[in-house]
Amino acid sequence: MSRYDFKLPDIGEGVAEGEVVAWHVRVGDVVKEDQPLVDVMTDKASVTITSPKAGRIAELFGKAGEVVKVHSVLVSFDLSGGAAAPAATAAPDAPKKDPGPAATAVGDIKESLPGMGAMTVTATPAALAAKSAAAQPTKPMAVPAADDYQAPNGRALATPATRKLARDLSIDLNRVRPTGPQGRVTKDDLRAYAGRGSAPAAVEAPAAVEVPGVPSAAAAMTARAPVSIATPAAKGGEALEERVPFAGLRRKIAEKMALSVHTAAHFTFVEECDVTALKAVRERLKPKAEALGVKLTPLAFIAKAAVLALKKFPILNAAIDESTNELVYRKYYNLGIAASTDAGLIVPVLKNADKRSLLDVAREIERLGTDARAGKLKLEDLQGSTFTITSLGAQGGLFATPIINFPEVAILGVHQIKQKPVVRDGQIVIGEVMLLSLSFDHRVVDGHVGAAFAYEIIKYLHDPDALLLES
Amino acid sequence: MPQMNMVQAVNDALRLELKRDPRVVLLGEDIGKVGGVFRVTQDLQKEFGPDRVIDTPLSEGGIIGAAIGMALYGLHPVPEIQFSDFIFPAFDQIVSELAKFRYRSGGEFPAKMVIRTPVGGGIRGGHYHSQSPEAYFIHTPGLKVVCPSNPYDAKGLLLASLRDPDPVLFFEPKRVYRAARSEVPEGDYTVPLSQAKVVRPGQHVTVLAWGAMLYEAIEAANQAAALGVDSEVIDLRTLWPVDIDTIIASVKKTGRVVVVHEAPKTCGFGAELIALINEKAFLHLEAPPVRVTGYDTPFPYTLEMDYLPLAGRILPALVETARY
Repeated sequence: MSRYDFKLPDIGEGVAEGEVVAWHVRVGDVVKEDQPLVDVMTDKASVTITSPKAGRIAELFGKAGEVVKVHSVLVSFDLSGGAAAPAATAAPDAPKKDPGPAATAVGDIKESLPGMGAMTVTATPAALAAKSAAAQPTKPMAVPAADDYQAPNGRALATPATRKLARDLSIDLNRVRPTGPQGRVTKDDLRAYAGRGSAPAAVEAPAAVEVPGVPSAAAAMTARAPVSIATPAAKGGEALEERVPFAGLRRKIAEKMALSVHTAAHFTFVEECDVTALKAVRERLKPKAEALGVKLTPLAFIAKAAVLALKKFPILNAAIDESTNELVYRKYYNLGIAASTDAGLIVPVLKNADKRSLLDVAREIERLGTDARAGKLKLEDLQGSTFTITSLGAQGGLFATPIINFPEVAILGVHQIKQKPVVRDGQIVIGEVMLLSLSFDHRVVDGHVGAAFAYEIIKYLHDPDALLLES
Repeated sequence: MPQMNMVQAVNDALRLELKRDPRVVLLGEDIGKVGGVFRVTQDLQKEFGPDRVIDTPLSEGGIIGAAIGMALYGLHPVPEIQFSDFIFPAFDQIVSELAKFRYRSGGEFPAKMVIRTPVGGGIRGGHYHSQSPEAYFIHTPGLKVVCPSNPYDAKGLLLASLRDPDPVLFFEPKRVYRAARSEVPEGDYTVPLSQAKVVRPGQHVTVLAWGAMLYEAIEAANQAAALGVDSEVIDLRTLWPVDIDTIIASVKKTGRVVVVHEAPKTCGFGAELIALINEKAFLHLEAPPVRVTGYDTPFPYTLEMDYLPLAGRILPALVETARY
């Protein structure tokens, strides 16, 4: 006789626990495979969980109304009869490998997600290998798992030109198995590595260090049959297309965008804001700022207004920690300031925006922009944002639907200030009007909360005296 | 268009400028009556007289010192140092006085002159008639350094040098003097200073050379082509101020570079060129830059052809660099 513990399977979509609604079986019952065992209510739905095996119920865990955690034992079976599967009870700390049927389960538990910043690569190669084995999805991914190669002493050999290419492709040279003379990584090695389909371990994008074998955002992007684009027949020797590697920063941006739109429930709220008074204040302060060597832009005021509004609506400055299923309310205010560069979109971070003066905010935004365009940003300039502002500029259009800088929960799109007719004291006058497009994660932020947050920003931009007084 | 060798081309340029500009004065050992040991100044004294083409005593310091005085008083002297190996007695005059006059007089006395001197080995001249001292002068701020490889450039670069406000050291590769012939236009033309010339375009490796070694570089490049290595050979023509843009554009294309010069390797001009390439094109390099040069020894008489970086030594450098 052997005992088999059946654990509450991962029902998916970040569900970590469920409430037992009703048991269909009692201790001592003999059950058949696929026989309903229990109804469990999650915050999404009620699910009937069926028996993974035939056997006798030895113990039930959790009474009706109690909450059970995913991966905690739900039912213990006595397996009788020769046909029963051998005991699958594993040591509690062994790699989790659910033998259960769990038709709805989506593989093993993820210890963290790429982009969450929770994962740091400090383990030895051997430990990494063990970890990647533990984290191996039960179903093979369409993308081959990354090669675990690690250069000896962490010092890959390569010529300067190859190092440059690696940097351009966001490839960690130390991960590339060398085939060149004297153990050198060659450009062909890089191209082969980049073309493999699994995400290269990037060093440029913030918090994007990945552990080989862990399904990455890239894998998520391509975990289906890849679409191929047919090359039309060339006529007269004239190439009808050009193929360039989809790699480096561009691929990183793609992964982050796809991760965000596939994860967050985007809701975009657009409102206009009369900034006539703000413009006047800025005009007045501009020469003084200039005398101090700082270009005072409307963006600096918007950043300060955003900080004040975030303090009143802390959920907009939060993030979801998917590994622990907690909402993390950040009590620091690091504003991502989206910047377009020749290489593509990057988001340098204005650190501690709440502790800086308006002047200092303007100065730092200017520095980040300059360094971004010059490619001189440091890693710390790109990390740790809690909320993002994207200045849509002269070609920002009427409104936009900005994509959240995941795992943040909101992003503020700022449009160009334009002269428009506004009604003031019953008169139509020419006002300076700006539109704000706020996207937020509807999973976390309810519509009225997001709207109230937007109106809070608008309040400060409409009344710069209040902004200057309170910030 | 007449065919000329380099001796004739330089002679032609000097005659032209003596005719064109009455301030131009030639001075040096045996340049007048004899017409120079290489006959570069042949017949010029006859044509322009002993006041314009002056035979001097055997004193290089005196030749340059006198020329500096002439320049300060408005003449355009063209001193000849019979062999560049003999330039060292005039070294103090050149680096301490000539190179600095324009600077220390606030631009009032430019000390404009062209010092002509035959350079390099390959003529069985031994250690006092074969050296390549260009690096000493490239190192000294205030001087320009030119070294043509063919008759056309020799005339055009000399005319450009004669009209340049700064003192110019004009190194004439003596091995090429009568070996190379080319079409040289009659009359006036200049080849601008500080413009290198891509004499053989290629994709795989950049070869930097000048003077007599240019021909060895081209020969090596042709042999390398048979081995599938496509070399781009650049004739620097003006060594300083060097045409770094042309060099960097080429190195960015090829990612590989071989520098060839006769002078000893250590602190030779190749070292400076490679340092500049590292500064400006480091991320483009596919292989370590290589120098093929004379050895760090006195210039040998008997082993002259082993000392010189001839095609046979350049070829393996090209192939190894291309296949690195």
